[in-house]
Amino acid sequence: MGAKILIADDLSFMRMIQKEILTEKGYTIVGEAADGLEAVEKYSALQPDLVVLDITMPHMNGLDAMRKIFQMDPKARVIMCSALGQQNLIVDAIKSGVKDFIVKPFKPERILSAIEKALK
Amino acid sequence: MNLAGIDEDRLKRAFLEEAEDLTQKLSDSLMALEENQSDAGLINEIFRLTHSLKSESALMGFQTLAGVSHKMEDVFGRVRGGELALDRTVMDRIFAGSDLIAAMIQGIAKGGNDADFSPGPVLEGLQEYAEPAGKAAPAKARTGPAEAGASAPAQAAEAGAPAETAAGTADASGTPAAAEARAPREAAFEPGDFERQQMREARDRGETLYRITVEIDDDAAMKFPRAYLVFNNLELLVNLLHVDPPMDGAMADDGVYGKITAWFTSAGTREKIRECTDVDQIKAVDLAPLEYADLLDRAALAPAGSGDGRPKSGQTAFAPEPAPSTERRAVLEKPTIRVDTRKLDDLWRMVADLILQKAAVGRIYDKVAHAEEPHALQEELGAVVDAFEKIVGGLQATMMETRMIPIAVIFSKFPRLVRDLSRKLGKSVDLVTEGEDTEIDRSIVELLADPLTHIIRNSLDHGIEFAEERVSHGKPAKGRIRIAASQQGGQIVIELADDGKGFDEQGIRRKAAAMGIERAATMDREEALKLVFLPGFSTKEAVTDLSGRGVGMDVVATRIREDLKGEVQLSTRAGEGTQITLLLPLTLTIVRSLLVRADNHIFAVPAVAVETTQKVLASELRGDSAAPFLPMEDGERPVFFLNSLLERPARRAEEYDTVMIRHGNNRGCLVVDELLQEMELVIKPIDDLLNFRRLFSGISLREDGSIVFILDTSFIRRRENNGRQDPDR
Repeated sequence: MGAKILIADDLSFMRMIQKEILTEKGYTIVGEAADGLEAVEKYSALQPDLVVLDITMPHMNGLDAMRKIFQMDPKARVIMCSALGQQNLIVDAIKSGVKDFIVKPFKPERILSAIEKALK
Repeated sequence: MNLAGIDEDRLKRAFLEEAEDLTQKLSDSLMALEENQSDAGLINEIFRLTHSLKSESALMGFQTLAGVSHKMEDVFGRVRGGELALDRTVMDRIFAGSDLIAAMIQGIAKGGNDADFSPGPVLEGLQEYAEPAGKAAPAKARTGPAEAGASAPAQAAEAGAPAETAAGTADASGTPAAAEARAPREAAFEPGDFERQQMREARDRGETLYRITVEIDDDAAMKFPRAYLVFNNLELLVNLLHVDPPMDGAMADDGVYGKITAWFTSAGTREKIRECTDVDQIKAVDLAPLEYADLLDRAALAPAGSGDGRPKSGQTAFAPEPAPSTERRAVLEKPTIRVDTRKLDDLWRMVADLILQKAAVGRIYDKVAHAEEPHALQEELGAVVDAFEKIVGGLQATMMETRMIPIAVIFSKFPRLVRDLSRKLGKSVDLVTEGEDTEIDRSIVELLADPLTHIIRNSLDHGIEFAEERVSHGKPAKGRIRIAASQQGGQIVIELADDGKGFDEQGIRRKAAAMGIERAATMDREEALKLVFLPGFSTKEAVTDLSGRGVGMDVVATRIREDLKGEVQLSTRAGEGTQITLLLPLTLTIVRSLLVRADNHIFAVPAVAVETTQKVLASELRGDSAAPFLPMEDGERPVFFLNSLLERPARRAEEYDTVMIRHGNNRGCLVVDELLQEMELVIKPIDDLLNFRRLFSGISLREDGSIVFILDTSFIRRRENNGRQDPDR
């Protein structure tokens, strides 16, 4: 509990929801990013315990951001957030080291249990 | 829907704010796309916007909205993949989709529901383009809650991923028939030569042979990647021999991945192996050691065919994202933050209080200045007053800034409006906008959109002629509407001009005469034209559905004057065009004013109306006592005694304190009992009951709680033309 989490999604609405769910559970949201570039920058600056990355983002998508993050920190804990139908992208991500993925629209329990497991 | 106890209202508001923003961007991008159909950056952007709209609405439970967004996304997925060309019809269907989405969001914003709309026709129109021609609908995949996932796996199957069945024969499955024929079957492993060799070597190394079965939660969406998580973990730890179903590439039926079985050898502990399955949404794991003999002694049935025919896995219609086009016409991108407008209101109230407190401190300072031995205290207090000045000034300025938004938020809707209306009318019109980044206060924005829209509609409907008519008059066939916004001397100036046929002066006079207005035929041109501002006026007999219920400039004028405390000016030339100019205050909430006293009350004259203050001798006044005027260099000014306006006895003296005021094009001279200081006042609305003779535009509270009435200087117009009652008051 109290783990530091970075949230990345281009929709501020999504970020708000994720932030609410996670903060209520006791996690600390150390930062938010609206695109892949920002996600990478903030990961480097904030050194979170875990990062939630949406796949579809402008400027740099979640997958490229994920790869860059793994380059910086091979032990990074990354959870991908995707829409239905992005199977093969997620598999790519898993091959790169992503711990888990959540599918939108998601229920609060899902993101919480995914994060809990990933932090172990 | 309830998400972890988040306040529903807040959630909905956040959703709407984002959704409205996305919809606007979508509309703008579509317009831009029409001009430049091959702009890959735009196409990607639109795809992303429809995708985001879909995600958001699905999360909120707005299924109908999500459905339409999804269909749009599908269409653009194909455009992006180069499978679909954008012709007239496609664009029209897409615009229809975009409009429906906007309408649904509007409906939701008004407290309604997306389900109130019937998306049928729009969806049908898009359906045609959402899927490759001639293809049957993809097999009904058991992918969990939404059917949306069906398209991608279907495409992967189409890409030709042959599946290895347990019997080891290569089989081009993935067709609907094969998917349906699948009954829960026993996973089996028939090792070929290669696998046998692997097993022998593993046995020699002292590794244990295992079979593991992992079952995924029934309600897990996208089972294939979930299974892959386990598979991936296993791959890194153990020596995999065989996995069923194979994990090379997603198959049509995601449901088959609900249970995966893997055979492998490993020297690791069972705990370590089980850890590989420590993935979310796994409902059951069964790990069983096997005897090598059981598998090795079985006769090889399958050809060792795992090497060739590797499926083209990972192949979908997902086109790589090209770099965003840099020449894209820049939508105004200003680094912005989202501010909850209720917070703004709170902050605003605090600032208002701070202003009052600041004044209070100033008064104390004055008192102290007049007391005995005040110097030390005065200096200290002086420093505090200075600090206050700085703080308040800064707060005010920053607050003003956060309240200001570029007028582009209103202007952005116009290109679409003009496009649609001109098409509907069969007229050809160019729209030019200038000064989109002129900033206006939030309080004005909402109130301004309607009148501006109205004026544009009028231009299109009544002003701009049809192409043939224009050409016959030597005009270019394409009409031109120009909207320009700017800030000039404490006011916002908005000009709307068209090069149409101008207002029909005779038509106006006729209508006025029919309405019973005297002198309709004889009054001068300027006056006659102003008649359009009269309530109930309209120059066209027939009511076109565009301009609505036959209301016109009169409604606009009332809105501008009353709600926005602004002015409307009209200039028109027959055959050449019309220009309507709006003069608006910068903000409706704070007004810098000159305080004056009359009849023992304090009144405020807005600084924007004050030209100068002047002492005037009674002997300089001309005219009768009912309508005095003052001759000046630039003409005669009507003189108003504030006391008289208030219907109180006017103080007669030899010399008067006056304020030279102007309101729009009108000039006046206001006589008061005493001139006081200039101040910034926070305006509060005034109740109609309190608004004596409608002289006031609002009230303000002083620090001692007394009320200051803020004058509405339009009373000057009342005495235009020698005291005759002005028709539009």
